[in-house]
Amino acid sequence: MRGQVQGELSRYGLDWSGQLADFLDVYLGEGMRAVWRPGQSSIEWEGKAVDLPQLAARKRKIKHESLFFIPAQRVLALRDGWPRPFTDYTPGDPFAVREYSEKLRVLVEQEFGAAGDLFPRERRLKSEFRDLLQKNVFSNFHLRVDKVRSQKRLVLGPGGAVGNIPYMVWSAGQREFVPLLLGFYWLMPPTKISTRAEIEWVVLEELEMGLHPRAISVVVLLVLELVARGYRVCLSTHSPQVLDAIWALKHLRENHASPQALLKIFEAPNTPPMQRLATSAMQKTVKVYYFNRETGVTADISNLDPSAEGQAEAGWGGLSEFSGRANEAVARAVANVDREGQQ
Amino acid sequence: MTFKEAVEQTPSLESSWRDGLGALRAEDKPHIKAEDTRRLCGSADVDGALQPSDPSANRWDFAIGHQHTNRKDVFIYWVETHTGSDNQIKVVLKKLDWLKAWLRRDGQRLDKFDRDMIWVSSGHTLFTKGSAQVKTLAQKGLIYSGATLRIPNKRRL
Repeated sequence: MRGQVQGELSRYGLDWSGQLADFLDVYLGEGMRAVWRPGQSSIEWEGKAVDLPQLAARKRKIKHESLFFIPAQRVLALRDGWPRPFTDYTPGDPFAVREYSEKLRVLVEQEFGAAGDLFPRERRLKSEFRDLLQKNVFSNFHLRVDKVRSQKRLVLGPGGAVGNIPYMVWSAGQREFVPLLLGFYWLMPPTKISTRAEIEWVVLEELEMGLHPRAISVVVLLVLELVARGYRVCLSTHSPQVLDAIWALKHLRENHASPQALLKIFEAPNTPPMQRLATSAMQKTVKVYYFNRETGVTADISNLDPSAEGQAEAGWGGLSEFSGRANEAVARAVANVDREGQQ
Repeated sequence: MTFKEAVEQTPSLESSWRDGLGALRAEDKPHIKAEDTRRLCGSADVDGALQPSDPSANRWDFAIGHQHTNRKDVFIYWVETHTGSDNQIKVVLKKLDWLKAWLRRDGQRLDKFDRDMIWVSSGHTLFTKGSAQVKTLAQKGLIYSGATLRIPNKRRL
C-alpha cells in the first residue's frame, strides 16, 4: 500500500481524516475497523514492523498499483450485465470490489465499447483457451455487447444476432465467470507485451466460485498462463480440485514428467503454445499455506502429503478430510459386512 | 477369545503370534504407529506362515491386534505394505480376495473380530484422499492409509 489506495479513495471524495479505524471501514468495508485492535494487532513485512496507522494517514499519491486484486465478490461488479462504476457503490462497500468493478468498466467501455463479440475474440487469450472456455463455460454461446434503448449491456447469444440472453438469465457459473474473464482480459492485453508492466502480483480470491469442475480446470490453467507470463499469483481456495492440480504439478516436476502430462490433467490440447505454457509452469515455485481459523496461525502445507504427520497437511487444510472419512466409512462397512459371526 | 488364542488356533498360524509388532519385518515396522504400544495385543505374520502351504498365492502380509479404549473387544488391523501406485491396485486387490477367502476357509476364529483392512504404502504416497482409486479400494473394503498407519487409542468410527 504505497499511496495508490489512499489516492483512489481521495479521488472519489472519501475522507477518513487520517484515522485508521475510519480508513479500515472504507478500505476493507463497513464494520471492518474491528479487525485492528490497538496494542494487540501488528503487521510485519519481511521481518520489519509495519506502522499501519501511519500508512493509513499517508497522503502521498502514487499513480500505479503493483497488485491486481480479483475479489471474491466479483459477481457484484456487473449489474444488469454492465460493469458498475466506482461511485455506484456505497462508502461501506469494500474498496477491492469497487476498484475491480471500475477497472472492468473502463476496460469494457474503452476496449469493447463498439458492437462485437467479447468472447470469443481474436487475440484475446490463446485459441486453445477460447476452445476450452467455449466447451466448458459458454456452451458455444458468444459474449457480446448489446443495446436496449441506448443502454449497453453484455449478453450471451448464439453466433447470429438473434436470441440474446440477458445477464439475469445466465447460469450462476456464467455470471461468476464473466467478471473473472474480464479480469483475465485486463491482465493479458492483446499487445506484443503480454502483461501489464506495472503489475507484479495478482491476487485471485476463490477462483472456483459457482463454477463446474470442468470450468475450474480451465481457470486453473488460465492461472498457470498468468504465471507463465511472469505474474506472481496468490490464490485463496476452498476447492480440493485446485489443490489436486498443485499436488500433481509438484509430483510431475519431481518425477521429471513431460509438459504433456500436465496438459493431460486439464484436457488441454498438446500444441506448441500450450507445451510452452506447461514447461514454464512446471519450472515455477508453488507454496501452499493453510489458515487455521481456530488458532489464527498459518501453516506451510506445501508438500500436500496425504500421509503427513500433521492433520493440516494430510487433510489439505480440511479440504480433503471429508473424502477421507467417506472412504474409510465405506471401506469399513464393506470389510465387515460378511465376516463370520457378524449380526 | 483373545487375539493370541485366535491366532494360535488358526491352521498354519499356530506359532505365528508375537508380542507387540514383533511379527512384522523390520522394514514394515516404521509404517505402523500406535498411540500407545501397550494397547497392542500382538501381531501375526500371515504371509510368512502361509508361504510353505500356499507358495504361489497373492498372500496378505500381517495382522495386528489392538485394544481400543472405547471398545469392549479387540480390533484387528489387517495390513498389507505395498508400493502405492496405480499399477499395483490389481495386485493388492487379489491379495484382499485371498485374505477374505482364507478368513472364511481357515481363519474363522480371526474372522469374528471387528477389523480394518489396510493398504500401507511402502514408498511414496501417490493417491490423494479424494481420488477415484482410493474410492475403488473403499468399495472393495480396503482403506488406503498412505505411508503410515496410525492406530489411535480411541477409535473414531
